[in-house]
Amino acid sequence: MVLSLFDQFISPALFGVPLMAIALVAPWLFLPAPGVRWLNNRLLALETSFIGRFTSQLFAPINKSGHKWALILASLMIYLISVNMLGLLPYTFTPTTQLSMNLGLAVPLWLATVLIGMRNQPTAALGHLLPEGTPGPLIPVLIIIETISLFIRPLALGVRLTANLTAGHLLMQLIATAAFVLLPMMPAVAIMTTLVLLLLTILEVAVAMIQAYVFVLLMSLYLQENV
Amino acid sequence: MLSRLVFASANALKGSGPLGAGLVQASRSLHTSSQSLAPLPPLPETGGKVRHGIFPEELFQLLYPKTGVTGPYMLGTGLLVYLLSKELYVINHETFVAASIGAVFIYVVKKFGPSVAAYADKINEEKVAKAQEVKDQAIASYTQDIEDEKKEQWRVEGRSMLFDAKRNNVAMLLETNYRERLHMVTNEVKRRLDYQIALQDLHRRMEQEHMVNWVEKNVIGSITPQQEKQSIAKCITDLKALAKATQVKATT
Repeated sequence: MVLSLFDQFISPALFGVPLMAIALVAPWLFLPAPGVRWLNNRLLALETSFIGRFTSQLFAPINKSGHKWALILASLMIYLISVNMLGLLPYTFTPTTQLSMNLGLAVPLWLATVLIGMRNQPTAALGHLLPEGTPGPLIPVLIIIETISLFIRPLALGVRLTANLTAGHLLMQLIATAAFVLLPMMPAVAIMTTLVLLLLTILEVAVAMIQAYVFVLLMSLYLQENV
Repeated sequence: MLSRLVFASANALKGSGPLGAGLVQASRSLHTSSQSLAPLPPLPETGGKVRHGIFPEELFQLLYPKTGVTGPYMLGTGLLVYLLSKELYVINHETFVAASIGAVFIYVVKKFGPSVAAYADKINEEKVAKAQEVKDQAIASYTQDIEDEKKEQWRVEGRSMLFDAKRNNVAMLLETNYRERLHMVTNEVKRRLDYQIALQDLHRRMEQEHMVNWVEKNVIGSITPQQEKQSIAKCITDLKALAKATQVKATT
């Protein structure tokens, strides 16, 4: 198959049959659910311990009424990590490189936090628009700025995730292409390029996990403000 | 018909080997056993054996009789060469990506695999240890209770000796008290009798004295003055004679 640089970002289809559903559901195959047994195998033990520790650490600063978000944020985290990591394999499609998907995750969740804040504690929610201790003349300007920043949040969340992953994948493809093309011509340079590719791969693995964590962390922060 | 065969053989394999766990529910389709989820067949201790991390050992065992030890390797090499030469797999930049991802993955697994596995095992072991500790504590407390009970029973045996000793004590006290009272009674009675005796003595003495006084008085009253002079003169002559006798005795 001849691949151009952007083939990896095309919505996958085989003979016209869209495979997006498989790409979206793929992580479910790799994550077993805790079953009937009291003592599980290693994978389940690690999975349950990780999810438990992550959720308790994430929700520690949020007060009790926000804890009902635990399920959605924990599962979002697991999903994003697994989808990002699976996307690092060759010839795979990463759903989170699509802005549509990331905005689809960010906007409803962000909007939910804003609406919850406005409904339950409107004064406090509006009060977030003005930081403490601002000098008098700056107040109108600052309110406008804070409102803009409030509305930029979902865009920032979505675009951050998209841009990081897309850029990372694209960079890997570019450097791999460079190494591939340089191999017959200048093998030494090709080897240096392969080294760079190796380091970049390590970075991409880290970025995949960190971006998922940042997404969920920021969402929990918005929740903490508003709940 | 073949599906029935599969079900029947699946039932037979229920408890055994690596497929056992997965076939527990097979008997439920034929309703040959009561539908219980416990006890579950045990999980195998280790995963399936693999060579080079991905190829199951069974493949090598399968090919060994016909192609020997190098059989599977030849198969792999041939497959790879076939895919490459027929351009079913094209080497492009993604191959480099795959190689670098593969290298990172293999490095991470080799380096951190054992420690992660040990951590997972530790999680499970802590769970088991907690339950075991509860059980051990219960057993220890019951053993302690048994020993305490035995000690109490031993104490109860000694209690009858204690009661006997106490009973002896009390009997001794009673006896002592009784003897004291007896003694006191005897003393009192003796005192009363002594008093009576003393009284009688006094009476007798007083009577005697009175009688002696009366006799003396009468005798002295009956002595006439003439008799008195006669007796005095006799006394004087007696005394003189006596004095002479002693004087003579003294000089001889």
